[in-house]
Amino acid sequence: MAVVQAILDGLMIGGVYAVISIGLTLVFGVMGIVNFAQAEFLMLGMFVAYYAWAWLGLDPLLAAPLAFAVVFVLGAALQHLLIRRVLKAPEVAQIFLTVGLLIVMENAALLMFGSGFKSVSTPYQTASLQLGPLFVSVPYLAAFLMSVASGLVLWLFMKLSWFGKAMRATAQDPMAAKLLGINSDRMHMLAFALGVGLTAFGGAVILPYLTASPTVGGQFVVLMFTVVVLGGLGSVAGAVVGGFAVGIIQSLSGLAFPIQLQNLVLFVVFIGVLAFRPKGLLGAAR
Amino acid sequence: MSSSGNDTASGRINRRQALAFAAVGGIAMPFVLRDAVAQGKAVNVGVVMPLSGANAQFGINSRNGVELVADEINAAGGIKALGGARINLVIADSTSTPTTAANVAQRLLTQNDVVAILGAFASSLTIAISEVTERRGVPLLTMSFSDQITGRGFENIFQVVAKASVLGKAQFDGTMALAATAGQKLERIAIMYEDTAYGTSQAAGLREGAKAAGVQIVMDDAYPLGITDVTPLINKLRASGAQAVFPVSYLNDSLQIIRAMRQQKIGIPAIGGAAGYVIPDFEKGLGEFAEGVLSIAPANYDLAPELTERFRKRYGYFMVHEALEHAVCMDVLAQAIETAKSTAPEALRKVLHGTRFEAGWTKTMTGGAVQFDKTGLNTLSVPVMVQWRSKELVTVWPSDVAKAKAVWAS
Repeated sequence: MAVVQAILDGLMIGGVYAVISIGLTLVFGVMGIVNFAQAEFLMLGMFVAYYAWAWLGLDPLLAAPLAFAVVFVLGAALQHLLIRRVLKAPEVAQIFLTVGLLIVMENAALLMFGSGFKSVSTPYQTASLQLGPLFVSVPYLAAFLMSVASGLVLWLFMKLSWFGKAMRATAQDPMAAKLLGINSDRMHMLAFALGVGLTAFGGAVILPYLTASPTVGGQFVVLMFTVVVLGGLGSVAGAVVGGFAVGIIQSLSGLAFPIQLQNLVLFVVFIGVLAFRPKGLLGAAR
Repeated sequence: MSSSGNDTASGRINRRQALAFAAVGGIAMPFVLRDAVAQGKAVNVGVVMPLSGANAQFGINSRNGVELVADEINAAGGIKALGGARINLVIADSTSTPTTAANVAQRLLTQNDVVAILGAFASSLTIAISEVTERRGVPLLTMSFSDQITGRGFENIFQVVAKASVLGKAQFDGTMALAATAGQKLERIAIMYEDTAYGTSQAAGLREGAKAAGVQIVMDDAYPLGITDVTPLINKLRASGAQAVFPVSYLNDSLQIIRAMRQQKIGIPAIGGAAGYVIPDFEKGLGEFAEGVLSIAPANYDLAPELTERFRKRYGYFMVHEALEHAVCMDVLAQAIETAKSTAPEALRKVLHGTRFEAGWTKTMTGGAVQFDKTGLNTLSVPVMVQWRSKELVTVWPSDVAKAKAVWAS
């Protein structure tokens, strides 16, 4: 029964990992850029939700679309002002830019928000559903459902809307897309804004069970890259599979090993997967 | 180093040399001047605290405590034995990484001529700093708990609180006493702790207490400080059948642990290990769920309200223990300088080792005074047990200092 509980916990946390990582993989898939600052947008999302709660009394789950919107706009601006300029530059320049962005954002957050931990208090925070011997934490479940919902909306957007189709076309063949009249510059802006917005959305929905601080990104950045690479860099479906895999591996490892070794187990599996499937679990499918 | 010194040393210098000396003197001047100011009018005291990163809130609290006392001393006329020298705090951010802490301490010693260093809340940081201060022979006054701090035979370190293992043992003994008063005999307990120096030392004390009392430890788990998901820990706690849990955590982890316990409807008493459990943010983050949570603490503000209320008045929240103990560090240092009539490290060390400090802020400590043994440990400090009661921390154990009776939820 402990195994079932662990898998359940892992699934729920994996759903959140998936959604915060989709943003990273989307940016890479469409623009071919690895955004090292991605986890900082998660931090921003947490702070938007925190202040929406502190000032407007808005529940973090309701504030999640707001976090998405704010960071979406910021992302579009950053893409237009900074990222756009390095798209054709050597990779080293791209790395410098996004790592620099990470440092600037983290320190700007320290200046603006102070270095303390900010925590919301909501009525469902300490609630849980009991299914026989199993416990389902309500804040985890809420974060999971919100993540799944946002993932579905993104999938529908990519599948059905003209923008989604155009974005996928740009990812597959930028030249052909351009020839068909797709403004690739605008597609990149949309992809980047959507990517960081989605990560911020994920940040807002996990706020009920975590605390926001300017350095919280550091706790997620490695996980996000693990999720994305495990699933296959650039593949949205891969990020979903990777997210669930990471969540479940972490949770199951807690049964057999001390919790300190959680990430050790994760990375051993990670290395194993990459040894046999260097392009990730779904890497070849793309 | 000044040009005039060279002039008198030799009467025979040509114009070119004189010009060169003048130039060197001119460049060196600002530094010489600053040194003169430092020695004549102000005493530089280094304050190294984690002002960013995982432990920032504690660092800020600690800094506030030091600032309060330094400002009080300056307002009352400075260090009288040094002709009213003002205390000049040189505050530096150690971040929450030991290597940075050591670098920052090194910089204070080489560039700011600090006479002593206060800090740095987290044991792992303090230990890193102590390597530097010990090498340079400068006193380091701290309220970090870890046993390693005074356990390495260092001569320049002074720990104003009881050691972590003593705190851990008191955390256990106090709990047993409170449970017994409520008519419960504990047989199975759980321990979970963050895996840096502080959590590890205190867990050792808990284990020792449990062993001595013949109580079974049904769960004993370390976890990383930056933990983002405590569910596996709490699942394990639920399965363990413990009657009380002793979490030793900082803030982020303490909030997660108590919330996850409430989610899983685990109603056993949680007895925190100070740090995250005894600051206003804990109550702010948990609201009503903080009520009744117990914790060990090396000191508590309700034991000397006449002094600690000054802190609340200035900063708007109660004087958390790390602020209080850092205030004591600052005051003890000032008293030592008064007695030594000097800021020379050897003189200070001698006074710090040999004196019983009874004035000012030392009254806020349990024992009402501070006295360091030859390892630098304050032998008079006794931990207390506190409980959250309507947004305040009330001392509930030991009975001779308790302000109220503990509420025990079994």
